[in-house]
Amino acid sequence: MGLKLRDRVISALRHEEPDRIPIDLGATPCTSVHAKTYYDLRKYLGLSLKPVRVMDIGQQLAEVDKDVLDLLHVDVVNVNRVLEPMAPHPYIYRFASVVDGSLKEVSDREFYIWRAPYGVDVEIPKYIEIVEVGEGFAGYSAGNIFGIIPRGGYYFWGLDRWRKSKPPLADVKSVDDVKKFDWDSFKVADDVVEILRKRAEYLYRNTDYALINNFIGGPGGYHDAGGQNLRGWDKWLSDLRVRKPLAEAILDHIHEVMMYNIKKIVNAVGEYVQVTAIAYDDLGTEEGPQISVQTFKEFYKHRYEELIGYVKKHSRMFTWLHSCGSVYPFIREFIDIGLDIINPVQISARGMDPEKLKKEFGEQITFWGGGVDTQHVLPLAKPDEVVDHVKKLIKIFAPGGGYVYASVHNIQPGAPPQNIVAMFKTAYEYGKYPIR
Amino acid sequence: MSVDVLSSIKDSLVNLDMDKTIDFVRRAVELGFKPMDIINVLADGMRVVGVRYERGEYFVSDLIVASEIFKEVMSILEPLITRVGEVVRPFGRVVIGTVEGDVHDIGKNLVITMLRANGFEVIDLGVDVPPKRFVEAVKQHKPDIVGMSALLTSTMVNMKRVIEALEEEGLRSSVKVIVGGAPITEKFAREIGADAYGENAVIAVDICKKLVEELHRGK
Repeated sequence: MGLKLRDRVISALRHEEPDRIPIDLGATPCTSVHAKTYYDLRKYLGLSLKPVRVMDIGQQLAEVDKDVLDLLHVDVVNVNRVLEPMAPHPYIYRFASVVDGSLKEVSDREFYIWRAPYGVDVEIPKYIEIVEVGEGFAGYSAGNIFGIIPRGGYYFWGLDRWRKSKPPLADVKSVDDVKKFDWDSFKVADDVVEILRKRAEYLYRNTDYALINNFIGGPGGYHDAGGQNLRGWDKWLSDLRVRKPLAEAILDHIHEVMMYNIKKIVNAVGEYVQVTAIAYDDLGTEEGPQISVQTFKEFYKHRYEELIGYVKKHSRMFTWLHSCGSVYPFIREFIDIGLDIINPVQISARGMDPEKLKKEFGEQITFWGGGVDTQHVLPLAKPDEVVDHVKKLIKIFAPGGGYVYASVHNIQPGAPPQNIVAMFKTAYEYGKYPIR
Repeated sequence: MSVDVLSSIKDSLVNLDMDKTIDFVRRAVELGFKPMDIINVLADGMRVVGVRYERGEYFVSDLIVASEIFKEVMSILEPLITRVGEVVRPFGRVVIGTVEGDVHDIGKNLVITMLRANGFEVIDLGVDVPPKRFVEAVKQHKPDIVGMSALLTSTMVNMKRVIEALEEEGLRSSVKVIVGGAPITEKFAREIGADAYGENAVIAVDICKKLVEELHRGK
């Protein structure tokens, strides 16, 4: 008899060795699978074929069904799931339809079927409306446009990609301009947090899964999710050096929102949830960190310290940070301010050598990801090569606990189902402690 | 002193100090240096920044800052260039875009920034660019180089379609083609008939310079 799923995850996060490494597929918008790939996977597994329910509209990520969770031995789910196991507390959206102007009142648990440009029928929640435009299909969330999926595309993208809009703070010149921005619009609404609380409580009491909260609202981070999204990717990088007062002013506002939101969220779900995301904030590129450690310390470290500190002080939740690319030098800094978990552990980026990461940081931080190279191995290798690759990574990351198995970021179209099955089968079978 | 001011321009650019670079450029202008002499030391400085990035001493943020300083300084120098009647010929002309189906643009934009900071004229076609638009742009702008970017394994195949379209229109031999993006490799570039693969923005600029020279030798 194995451990309870939740206890398995907690044990791993405490840097103990449970009976086997815990496995994640679909608990976060960074450890999931694209709807197209998921459809092909179900077909390959001989499971019932039906439209794929989408849990992240922009990235077109599948909500993973219970049958697949069971088959792949997944141990953790997120609080806002829209498939079983699912909490029975809908959130009601009220908005004017962009299609016909009528007033809509729909819950986030009502769906309709849409044929996505990549040729798969997907289930889209009714508060999302999709309208054909010149570039492809524009998506509106409760009446507000959030992106366009090109014809033949796989994802929705922000309008700035087509130069149809600029990042919201692209043109601000002064600290006063920054102040005028509607920062309160980033703050999570009380009714949203209340639903989140009910869902967390329900899943805590009625399932055995470890629970992660991946909803944090607001900009979602300080650097990539913050300054770069609000100002423009490259403009923000120069702001940090040549327009420091402006950068500081923007960060002060972001931080106020981040603290406001995390307080609400911790108070709501802290009792029920084992892991909470604190930010989705890419600090790396494939070739190296985007910024120096010195810049990180100057602008971000103290703010992250307060954010993480709040969670640690007011709950027993483990803190989870997503940061893509080559982030090696920042891991030490994050350990220093109490971060528990780093994701996605992009092992193919420069300086992200698994052995070095485990040796230097393995006792102090949990790696959640790094389980298969989704760029160079999963889509291209043969199944037996995937098996060897996964075994090698588990052998490095698993000893001593502090490891949750997941792919490096989401599994994308082009990854053959044989390889995905090989990956999870190996994680389950080879991931039993003690690792041989 | 007068030679010092030129090396000070270079040093302050290399040290990513915008205010000092601008100060020294103004001083150099007062001392009567020609805009072209100043542009040449700035180009030297950009080269050093690129080398430091390659060595891992500088970060992508430093490349961006250096380019922004370069842009600021050029806005001071350009009116002077017109006044003294000098002609600044761009190093070469590049038409660039992210291929059809793909809207990733960080890498492409970084290449553009670095090309411009190194004296290239760049026509940016944006993202999700179908082969037809690349062809039209080549006809219209007569570039030396066509640059293509892709981040997805599912879209990188569209690079080949652009090269085929250029061939069909009889334009292929008039341009050099460089490709780049996370999934792209040297091998892939050769297979689809591109002339070069740029592993990163700094390398891409070096290669583009070589490609322009090759092209002009061949003409």
